[in-house]
Amino acid sequence: MKKLKRTVLLVGSLLALFLFLTGCGSNKAAANKTLTFWYAGDGDTAVKPIINKFTKETGISVKIQSIPWSQYNDKLLTAASSKNGPDIMLMGTTQMANFVSSKSLLDISKYVKNDKTLNPNNYFSSSEKTTKFGGKYYAVPWYVETRVLYYRKDILQSVGYDHAPRTWSELYEVAAKLAKRGKNMYGFNVDSSEPTFGFMFARQNGAQLVTNGKTQFNSSEMVGSLKYLNSFIQNGLSPKQDQKLTIAQSFGGKAPIPMFISGPWMLPTIEKEAGLKNSQWAVAELPKGKTSNLSVTGGGNLAVFQYSKNKANAVKLLKYLSKRENQITYYKNSNSMPTLKSAWTDSALKNEKIQVFRRQLNNSESMPLLKQWEEIGQNYLKAWEPVALENSDIQKAMNKFNKQTQQLIDK
Amino acid sequence: MQSNFLKKIVPYTFVFPALLLLAIFSLVPIVIALLISFTGLDITGLGDWSQIKFVGLSNYLQLFQDNAFLQSILNTVVYVVVGVPLVIIVSLTIAILINSGRNSFFKMMRLVFYTPSITNTVAVAVVWTYLYNPSLGLFNTLLAKVGIAPIGWLTDPNVAKLSLIILAVWKAVGLNMLIFLAALQGVPRSLYEAAELDGANYWEQTRHITLPSLKFSIFFVTVTTLIAWFQFFDEPFVMTKGGPLNSTNSVALFVYQNGFQNSNFGYAAAGSFVMFVAIIVATIIQFKLQEKQRGE
Repeated sequence: MKKLKRTVLLVGSLLALFLFLTGCGSNKAAANKTLTFWYAGDGDTAVKPIINKFTKETGISVKIQSIPWSQYNDKLLTAASSKNGPDIMLMGTTQMANFVSSKSLLDISKYVKNDKTLNPNNYFSSSEKTTKFGGKYYAVPWYVETRVLYYRKDILQSVGYDHAPRTWSELYEVAAKLAKRGKNMYGFNVDSSEPTFGFMFARQNGAQLVTNGKTQFNSSEMVGSLKYLNSFIQNGLSPKQDQKLTIAQSFGGKAPIPMFISGPWMLPTIEKEAGLKNSQWAVAELPKGKTSNLSVTGGGNLAVFQYSKNKANAVKLLKYLSKRENQITYYKNSNSMPTLKSAWTDSALKNEKIQVFRRQLNNSESMPLLKQWEEIGQNYLKAWEPVALENSDIQKAMNKFNKQTQQLIDK
Repeated sequence: MQSNFLKKIVPYTFVFPALLLLAIFSLVPIVIALLISFTGLDITGLGDWSQIKFVGLSNYLQLFQDNAFLQSILNTVVYVVVGVPLVIIVSLTIAILINSGRNSFFKMMRLVFYTPSITNTVAVAVVWTYLYNPSLGLFNTLLAKVGIAPIGWLTDPNVAKLSLIILAVWKAVGLNMLIFLAALQGVPRSLYEAAELDGANYWEQTRHITLPSLKFSIFFVTVTTLIAWFQFFDEPFVMTKGGPLNSTNSVALFVYQNGFQNSNFGYAAAGSFVMFVAIIVATIIQFKLQEKQRGE
């Protein structure tokens, strides 16, 4: 009898412990109506002011969680696997394919079709394409970025050019002259750490990367464009590896690297850190290759989490953030360029340097929207590395990379 | 009979909470990882479990044909073979040197050598990246002063691995030194006095008294250091991302890249299991050697 009592007590206390352990997680979901918004980057300066206005107008409170880009993907993966995450979130355009395939994003087609602000025609088509999978919409384009050529006006002038290079051959010509300025002086930066860099040049040369599920990475156009890029490196017009220089060291002063290609995020960095006068540098549309000067569109979309318990309000916030005036405020706070075409007429975007981006956006496409894209990009960098460092055979490297990628896509 | 049963059960009730936590946070995840390693789980399967395919051993077979994985094994072996003895020798030497005095200078040196271990690896790695910077770093600037050409600390495939080992040794020495120091202070003074009377010099005393007395702490440090170096991750993750030319990639980083960057969870789980088995085997060998020594 005594034994039974103790056993009951024991089992009971264990049960209580177990309930305590499992119970911790379950009681918070239902209670409140606060929306959770995951933002990659500094949400306090970028979106907080807009969110505050939203809360004031609708009475819906929103909690912003700012997560650094470097950890954002890990965080989203955890949410996707546990089915427990934010209500609304920022999605990098290159992450879209992944999280659509994991069924983590709510199909918002019905809102997109019935709402004036969300109408796909309002947005840049290269951005809009990153929200549409299998005919359904899973996100709304929020901000857009594209790559342009940054160059030092004064230094190009000193070697006899009063304008930015307009074609590939001119780019090489200018770079060669710039590299002759002295030891450790280069003309142009061939970026060996950016996966889209080589693909971007390949497309300018007329290459198709993937057509109907068939990889084309060893085409003569692709290989030709990489040979062109490699000639910069092997002839000393571009550094072989990332020199780990700050922008002031590479682009300011005598500018060892007076030309490079990058996105809009470099504008404020150069203004603040390079120590240059506004007249000393400029941006220009990319030099034209054999067929085009096509740039790479990137950016961020807004999506609603499939397992959110607060979908209606999340969609409300989505619509609110997509309004023209809020896209403009967001641009002012964060320098992220609006995806809404109509926002570009605002005086805040009148700046000549920004308008270069606007023109480049007419010739800009996103990378193929494949769920394996991240891995393909990393594999490409690995394939490119021996070319840049050891001048190994490009055709062979691309044959191998092409085969590897085909297997990856077929899997 | 009854009290006998209770006697048996009571200890288990005390360890039960610990066991439960161990099971939930260690054993269950290990079993799940093992199961995942036999599937082709990727990002699609994460959202929809019906999409997960059982692929048998094919992940493991593929691993051993993957040059990147084989290279990362080779790199990890180099890290372990060079790093572990280096950590033990350096920290033991420093501990013996510091133990030879008691004044405030020795106390300060103890602090100097211990400080790296209480700093965050990621923060330290960022600072060291600056030190290693090819054109602006402290090391190359100092080398230039004495007329030596700059070294590509993190950009030269032949040097990068060594650069990471230097950093990791610098960081690991402090804690192990402290363990040795504690053990050293437990060695009875009378042994040294007796040896001195017999005419043993400092080197002989170290060899025949100090080292044998430290046998257990050396074993402990070896096992923990070995496991830590098998899991070498932070330094290459922050400083080189496994490059240049894959020369600094470790197995742990390979697993991370496949799991969290490429979302090949099945493949990454298989890789982590290979690492798991390697660590277990290395530790068992250590224990066997230790037992053999004890038996003699």
